[in-house]
Amino acid sequence: MPVLEPIVELARGLWTTLRSMAEKPVTVQYPEQKRPVKPRFRGRHVLKRYDNGLEKCIGCALCAAACPADAIFVEASENTDEERYSPGDRYASTYEINMLRCIYCGFCEDACPTEAIVLGDNYELSFTDRREAIYPKEMLLEPVPAGGAPTPQKTEPGKFTRSVPEMKDPAD
Amino acid sequence: MMAHLLLRHRDIPDIGKLDVYRKNGGFEAFKKAVTQMKPQEVIEVVKASGLRGRGGAGFPTGVKWSFVPNNIWPHYVVANADESEPGTFKDREIMESNPFQFLEGVAIAAYAVGANAAYIYLRGEFWPVAAHLDEKIAEMEKAALLGDKLFGTDYSLRIYTHLGAGAYICGEETALLESIEGKRGQPRIRPPFPAVYGLYGKPTVVNNVETLTNVPLIVEKGADWYKSLGTADSAGVKIFSLSGHVKKPGNYELPFGTTFRQLIYEYGGGVLDDRPVKAIMAAGASSAVIVADDKALDTPMDYASVKALGADLGSASVIVINDSVSMDWVINKTIHFFKHESCGKCTPCRDGTYWMLHLIERIERGEEVEANTQLLHTVAKQMQNKCLCPLGEFSTMAVTTAIERFPQDFRG
Amino acid sequence: MTKTVTLTIDDQQVTVPEGTLIVNAAKMVGIDIPVFCYHPKMEPVGMCRQCLVEVGRPAIDRATGQPVLEDGKPKIQFGPKLETACTTPVSEGMVVLTHSEKARAAQKEILEFLLTSHPLDCPVCDKGGECPLQNLTLAYGPAESRFLYSEKHHAEKHVPLGDKIWLDRERCIQCGRCIRFQEIIAGDPVLSFYQRGRDTDIITHSDPPFDSIFSGNTTDICPVGALTTADFRFGARPWEMKAAASICSLCPVGCNLTFNTRREAKAGGKVVIKRAMPRQNEQVNEIWICDRGRFNWHYVEDPSRLTHPLVKKDGKLEKASWSAAIEAAGNQVKGNQVLVVASGRLSNEDLFNLKQLADGLGGEALLYDSLPGGELTTRYGVSAGTNLGDLGAGSAILVAAADLYHEAPIWYLRVKAAAERGANLVIVNPEATRLDKYAKKLVRCGKDEAAAKVRELAAELTAAENLVVFFGRTADRNLAEDCAALLQGREGRANNGLIGVWPRANDQGAWELGYKPVDPSTGSGQALAQAVKGKVVYLAAADPAGDDPQLAEALKGAKAVIVQELFPTKTASLADVVFPAQAFTERDGSYTSGERRVQRFYPATPPLGESRADFAIAAAVAAAAGLEVEGRSALLVMDKLAAAVPAFVGISYRKLAEVTEQWPIVGRGDLYYGGTTYENRQGLGVQLNVSTFKRSNVVRGRAL
Repeated sequence: MPVLEPIVELARGLWTTLRSMAEKPVTVQYPEQKRPVKPRFRGRHVLKRYDNGLEKCIGCALCAAACPADAIFVEASENTDEERYSPGDRYASTYEINMLRCIYCGFCEDACPTEAIVLGDNYELSFTDRREAIYPKEMLLEPVPAGGAPTPQKTEPGKFTRSVPEMKDPAD
Repeated sequence: MMAHLLLRHRDIPDIGKLDVYRKNGGFEAFKKAVTQMKPQEVIEVVKASGLRGRGGAGFPTGVKWSFVPNNIWPHYVVANADESEPGTFKDREIMESNPFQFLEGVAIAAYAVGANAAYIYLRGEFWPVAAHLDEKIAEMEKAALLGDKLFGTDYSLRIYTHLGAGAYICGEETALLESIEGKRGQPRIRPPFPAVYGLYGKPTVVNNVETLTNVPLIVEKGADWYKSLGTADSAGVKIFSLSGHVKKPGNYELPFGTTFRQLIYEYGGGVLDDRPVKAIMAAGASSAVIVADDKALDTPMDYASVKALGADLGSASVIVINDSVSMDWVINKTIHFFKHESCGKCTPCRDGTYWMLHLIERIERGEEVEANTQLLHTVAKQMQNKCLCPLGEFSTMAVTTAIERFPQDFRG
Repeated sequence: MTKTVTLTIDDQQVTVPEGTLIVNAAKMVGIDIPVFCYHPKMEPVGMCRQCLVEVGRPAIDRATGQPVLEDGKPKIQFGPKLETACTTPVSEGMVVLTHSEKARAAQKEILEFLLTSHPLDCPVCDKGGECPLQNLTLAYGPAESRFLYSEKHHAEKHVPLGDKIWLDRERCIQCGRCIRFQEIIAGDPVLSFYQRGRDTDIITHSDPPFDSIFSGNTTDICPVGALTTADFRFGARPWEMKAAASICSLCPVGCNLTFNTRREAKAGGKVVIKRAMPRQNEQVNEIWICDRGRFNWHYVEDPSRLTHPLVKKDGKLEKASWSAAIEAAGNQVKGNQVLVVASGRLSNEDLFNLKQLADGLGGEALLYDSLPGGELTTRYGVSAGTNLGDLGAGSAILVAAADLYHEAPIWYLRVKAAAERGANLVIVNPEATRLDKYAKKLVRCGKDEAAAKVRELAAELTAAENLVVFFGRTADRNLAEDCAALLQGREGRANNGLIGVWPRANDQGAWELGYKPVDPSTGSGQALAQAVKGKVVYLAAADPAGDDPQLAEALKGAKAVIVQELFPTKTASLADVVFPAQAFTERDGSYTSGERRVQRFYPATPPLGESRADFAIAAAVAAAAGLEVEGRSALLVMDKLAAAVPAFVGISYRKLAEVTEQWPIVGRGDLYYGGTTYENRQGLGVQLNVSTFKRSNVVRGRAL
């Protein structure tokens, strides 16, 4: 019947509304709640440390060379056994990533010969000033692991002579 | 048995004394050469005799002398008494016991190429031999057999000994010359060959001790007499340094063409413990390894026949290996030796011997023997034909031939 | 005419002079044969075996001595072994295969051997990115290692070979280029191999270690990162830096440099120079520079440099604006005779403008330099077409009163090489110098006898086809004149002439522009002290007060003192107005070398503070004094200069920037060949002709 037709349609629509009110919501209460990221998610960069606390980064600037957005700036200096930041002769005395430039492609991660730079899970990047978008080394470095010491460390001569560690599975 | 021609002290015990040597015809050949022959005639006689270098390469001696150009002066003669090949010990016996015949050979060679100075380059460990030779040279000078205006002619000659500092590579003639010049014992690029650009950049003849010891006999008795000894392609006699698993190791002066079987069983008294011969290394550590089957044992020892066996006669330092030894052990020894003696000048030898060493050590430890053996073989092949001097090439001879000819010894 | 040989390399026909090595013949037609130990500036040694190629020669019939023909063409016989292209000279009809399967396999295998003991720490290596080993490995090498890392040869990685050079023993591939450079080219055989086999190491046996003024060059020719400089250590990656062409400012040789620059956080975000590298100019420095040129440019970044104009107020120098300072200076010079005292630190353009200022105000322009004979070199100096590299047998070189090794090291290198090629080198000097051992004749005599000794040698020296005479440091007027007299009749002839070993880079330029020596008879400071009395003195790049307290006193008697300088010198402290000048690394300009070659330099870094170029300051002061002097750009000043000074006729910035192909080819794509890039795309400069216009005889009292 032509008169009832709109009412049926209306009821059908309302039914859909009522049904979804009873369903579990797909949204989360961000920022109180956070959704876990996928294993291969590429978020904010972290500069890794070895177990003893030494920085993995050796300041080779290959990440900067690989970066298609020119977001990374590295300056290297020389380690001594008195003041050691990383194994080998060289460490990054300046390490900056401009998060506004970064496109999170992960090329830096691929280029890194020591697996020092890793794109982490953190996606919460907001700035109120453009200058804040430049993350210095202190912000990027991960905390010193338990049992490790902060850098610079005073180390035994002749112990940390090699910059690039022997990789278990360098093909990965 | 024929009287010794080179190891004459075995027949005449006091031949090392100047008067005894002279009484037995000593220095007559030198005198004849200087007083009656032109240098060119001496070269022709030596050329006609078919004498070939006894140091290993077997290059015709007379031909080598004739390469010395007459527009660049002065000329030098250098006697290579480095004798550094493992398994070779013939030159030492000559120099210790029959020194004058050797020195006379040096003198005749010097006269033939117009040199007024000759050097004897001895390995560092031969310092007592050098002292011994110095005494003999002094005696010769006193007897006016060396010095100015010899035998009333205008020809003058002095002989000097020079000690090396303990490097195998200095047995290589250009490295030897560098060493005499006081530089690092490293081979030079050839060409130019020493006959044109030798000691101090001047034409130089470098001959092995044994080669030179033959020369007085040839000058004295003539080319035809010398040619009648030995075989068609290898004239004369040769001292075979026999070592390894034999009952009577030592130097044996035999005509070319003697078979391996004769040398090992007739002269060497047979194999130690009477076990069968497994392998023969005919030229010391630098040899290709010969599988000692009947055919090989009955091969006459001359340059061409040994070559046909896929090896070289070289300096004829025959190392006999019986069946108690596995070949991987043998090449472990040779690789260690060559790695230690590589001079480091050229890449394939410097890094190749280092790599081979690590591979053979892995094989010795039983790690992935088959894969590592194969890699070792490739690395050795990879070195071949690329090295600056023969040392690098020689270091691979035993390795490739042992792996190819004794595969059963390289199974895990 | 040298005999030529025609051969075929990879299907390309090549005709080259007899005796050319295969590797060079291939390079001439653009075929690259990989090398490590071979360097085009040195004799081959054939050590690295990297350049193995297949070589075939026409087969010769022994009976007839004629080539064997096959299908009407000569039959080519290939040897059983590959040959090293770096040691084998070409021969007629030769056929070379550089990229055949066999050759490529051998090249790959040799690279694999080299890499077995190389640490592959390219990420931390200063050579990484401009490394012949890296490049050749990518082009010719194996992709994967068959060698175990743990079995690699380990050696010291951190050896200070000298205070300027670091050695990494693990990276070294024992090519011996450094050893041969020191022995053969530098003549300082202070490096050598130690140990043997895989343990072969580079050592220095001089005390102090690696004692050579040319040591930095070994880091350039090193085909791996074994030798690196302490100065640049971890300074930057090569691809991060920009290049600016420049000319060394430290001596009159005029070596061509490239400054590599980078913006740096350590320097507060400024663009800074990271290193100086040689730039190829076969007629000046070839591909070498001395350690002074390589490391001593740091003065331009000294923190004490002047950044603002200063004007004296109440007896004290105070910071002022440019307009105030120019006005103050303009007021001082206007209507006064101005005495300009400038030094050879300035460029041609600066000196020209300063001279215009002096001339315009009826004053005088003096060059602050103690060595006499400047005007002699403008007449008897070497002229267009001169190349010390062409001198050899039949040439004579006199070095009088100069120690080239210390005063002008690259000239030492080139004179030594000429002597080794057979040039008759004669040295007249009071003390022993390093060059002595290459001299055919040595004359040791006191300063006063030198001129007489040179006269004695005249007959011998003038008999030579070409004659080049150097005079320096301890020369007096008489000696300079006697040296010039030797060259009479050779004016304007290539490869002949008089060269002053001046203390500064552009003294020659000042002489060419007509600057007067401080005192024509003695060149001493006495005369200057007299000259400044009561005058307005305009000092540029000269610090007489700092050099001589007597002059400091004398300057106090001047009417006014205006200074343009890099640093707050003693003289600047006495000035009424001080202008901050730009260093040569911050601006355009040109220098005239002792060999009278005008060469351009380009800005590498932005200028410091408010500093301005010397020519611009001079022009501004001139304008304030009512004169019209070009000051807008160095290029325009050069145009004016070329129009005004006969010797510079036809010279323009465009002309100075011209480049022709040079041998050996050591550009960016040829890293493996030279060891580093010596590329010169910014100009070879132009050598001045001896001015054709007649002057009165400069050498007085002698029949010329």
